[in-house]
Amino acid sequence: MSLHAYNPDWPRHEALQAQARRWHRRGLLTAEQLAAVEARFPLDFYRPHLFLRIGLFLFTVLGALASVGFWGMTTQFDFLGTLIPCLLIGAVVLELVIRRKRLYHSGADNALLYLELLGLVTLIGYVVFEKLDQEPGPGTASLTVVLLLILALLVLATLRYADVLVAVVAYLCALLLLGNVLLALPFGTLLLPFVLGAASAGAYAWFTRQLRRPDRLYYRRCLAWLRGLALGTAYLAVNYWAVREGNAALLSGYAPESPQIPLAWLFCLLTAAIPLLYLVQGLRRPDRTWLWLGLLTAAFSVFTLRYYRSLLPAETAATLAGAFLTALAVWATRYLHPARHGLTSAPDEAEDQQLNLESLVVAQTAHSAPDAAPAGVQFGGGHSGGGGATGSY
Amino acid sequence: MSPESILAELQAQHLLPPEQAALIRADEARRPFSLHRELRLVLYLGIVTLSGGLGVLIYENIDYIGHGVVVAGIAGLMLLCLGYAFRHRQPFTWAEAPKAGFLPDYALLLGCLLFVSLETYLQVQYGVFGTRYGLATLLPALVFLPLAYRFDHRGVLAMGITALAAWVGVSIQPLSAFVTNDFWHSRLSTAAMLLGLGLMAAGLLSEQHGRKAHFAFTYLSLGSNLLLIAATATLLAFTPDDAGLPPLVLVPLILLVCAALVWYARRTHSYLLLLMGVGYAYVAVTYTLVRLIDAVGGFNEAGFTLMLLYIPLSAFGVVWLFLNIKKILRLK
Repeated sequence: MSLHAYNPDWPRHEALQAQARRWHRRGLLTAEQLAAVEARFPLDFYRPHLFLRIGLFLFTVLGALASVGFWGMTTQFDFLGTLIPCLLIGAVVLELVIRRKRLYHSGADNALLYLELLGLVTLIGYVVFEKLDQEPGPGTASLTVVLLLILALLVLATLRYADVLVAVVAYLCALLLLGNVLLALPFGTLLLPFVLGAASAGAYAWFTRQLRRPDRLYYRRCLAWLRGLALGTAYLAVNYWAVREGNAALLSGYAPESPQIPLAWLFCLLTAAIPLLYLVQGLRRPDRTWLWLGLLTAAFSVFTLRYYRSLLPAETAATLAGAFLTALAVWATRYLHPARHGLTSAPDEAEDQQLNLESLVVAQTAHSAPDAAPAGVQFGGGHSGGGGATGSY
Repeated sequence: MSPESILAELQAQHLLPPEQAALIRADEARRPFSLHRELRLVLYLGIVTLSGGLGVLIYENIDYIGHGVVVAGIAGLMLLCLGYAFRHRQPFTWAEAPKAGFLPDYALLLGCLLFVSLETYLQVQYGVFGTRYGLATLLPALVFLPLAYRFDHRGVLAMGITALAAWVGVSIQPLSAFVTNDFWHSRLSTAAMLLGLGLMAAGLLSEQHGRKAHFAFTYLSLGSNLLLIAATATLLAFTPDDAGLPPLVLVPLILLVCAALVWYARRTHSYLLLLMGVGYAYVAVTYTLVRLIDAVGGFNEAGFTLMLLYIPLSAFGVVWLFLNIKKILRLK
C-alpha cells in the first residue's frame, strides 16, 4: 500500500495543465498545444466546481452523522460500541470511495476524513481523560500526552491525504504542544512568546524549502498554506494583545483588566514593525503570501492599538482610515500603470477568472437603502445611523 | 512545480519547440507582478469604511460644522465621484461594455454609497420625505438601477435590487421592517416572494432578449434567494400565520423554482444556483415527509424509524446525485 491515498500523478498533471492554461491565456501557447498538453496529462480524477464541493461536503456530513446516529440506536447508544465500529467503517468507506470514484479533495472525501479524525481525537481524549482519570489543564503531563497523540495522528493523516485543513490543524497542534511543554518549565511563561515566534520562523523556512522540492508536489497546496500560516503565527506569538491577554488567561484568579506584561515596549514595537516588514518584503520579492499576511497583520495591529488606546472616536477613525485606504489604492493604481519596479495594477491575464460573485458581495456589505427610522427617533447616540457596513435584508 | 520544470517536462514530451520555450522563459522573467486584486480589495474596504464612517460622523458633529456644510460636503464628494465615473464612461451598449479600468467603477460605487448617506441624513434632519418611507427607500432603487444599466455595473445593480427589497418590506410594514427580526412571519413574505419572482423573470428576460445578459446572474441569484428564503421561512414557521400562504402552495412553488434553477444552472453551468436549487428542494421535500408522517400516524415507532432511515439515505442520495451530476444533466 502506497503512502499516498491519491494518485501522485493527479497533482502533477493538475499543475502542468494549470500552467499550460496560464501560458495559453497569455498567448504563449496555441490552442492545439494546450489541447495536446491536456491529452498527454489528463485529469482523470473527480473534483467538481467549488459550489458542488460545498454541497457534497454538507450532505456527506449530514448522511454520515445520521448513519452514526442510526448505528447508535441499534447499540442502545453505547459510547465505544458506537464510536469504534463507525470509525472502522468510515475508514474503509473513505479509502474505497477514493479508489473507486477517483475523488480528489472533492468535498465528500474531505468530509469523511474530517469526521474520521474528529472521532479518533474524541477517542484519544476519552481514553486519556475518562478512562485514565486525568485532569485536563495547561501545563499538565496528560495534556502533553493527548496533544502528542493527536499530533501524530494528524501528521500521519496529512502525509497520506495531503489535506490543507488537516495540515493546518496539525501545525497548530504542534505549536500548542510546544507551548504546553514550555508552561511546565520554570520561566516558561516568560519564554513562551519568543520560543513560539522562533519556532514559527523556523517552520516557515522549512516549509519554504520543502515547497521548492519537486518531489513534494503532492503536498504543494498544504505547504503553501502552512507557509502563510507560519508567518501569521510568528506575528501572533509576539503580538502585544495576544501576549497580554494570553498571559492574563494563564494567571489564576480574576482580574478586571489584564495586567501589564514585562517587556511591553518590545512587544509593542514588534506589533507595529512586523506588518510593515511583511508588506515591504511582499512588495520587494514580490511574494503574494507576504503581501496578504502583511495586510492581515496590519489590520490586527490596528485592532490591537484600538483595544487599548482609542485615539479617535470610532466614526472619525473609520472616515480617516477609509479616506486613507481609498487615496492609497487610487494613487497606487495610477502609479503602477504602466508597470513600475516589476509591479503593475493591471489584471494579470494569466490569473484565473474570478467567481462571478462581486455583485453578491456588494449586496451583502454595502448599505443601499436609508434606514426606515421612525420620525420620533433622532440620531443622537450615533449608533443607529449608516455606520454598519453589514446590511442584511 | 516551477515554470522551469514544467517547461522541461513539456519539452521532454515533445509538446513544445525549444524556441517557444525560450520565449516563455523570457516572458516569465519579464512579466510584472500584478497587484490588481490587492488594490481592488483595499479600495473596496476603503470606500465602504469611508461611507460608513461619514454616515455616522455627520450626526456627531452637527453642532460644530452646521447642516449646510455637511450637506454640501457630502454632496460635493458624491458629485465628484459620479463626475469621475461619468468622465470615464464607455458608450452605452446592451452587451457587456469594455472596461477602462476599475477606478471609475469604484468611484460610481462610492458615489452611490454617499447618496444613501446623504439621503438618510436629509430625511432624519429635515424630514424631506416626511412619513413617506416608501418613497425614501424607493428613491435609491430609482437612482441606482438606471445608473447600473448606463455604467454597466453589477455592484450598483445589486444595491438597486436590495433597495427595491427594502422598499417592498417598508411599504407594507413601515416601522418594524428592519427594527425587528420578525421580517418573514407576516404578509411581508408574500411580497418578498412576488419580488423574487419578478427579479427572476427580469433575469431570464434580460438574458433571452440580450438586454445586459450578463446581469442575469445577479437578478437570478438575488431574486431566487429572496423568494426561497421567504417561502422556506414561511413554511417552517412553527406558529402558523394566517396571512402567509399555506404549505399546499408553498411546497410546489419551492420545488418549481428549484427545478427552474437547476434547469438554468444546467444551461449556464452556474453551480451556485444548482447548489441552491438542490438544497432548498431537499428542505422542502424533508418538510413534506415530516408533515406526512405526522398526519398519517404521528411519530410512533414506525414513523421514527422511517425518519432515521430517510435522513442518511436521502443525504447519500444527494451525494450520489452531485457525483453523477454531469451524467444526469448531460453537462459537458
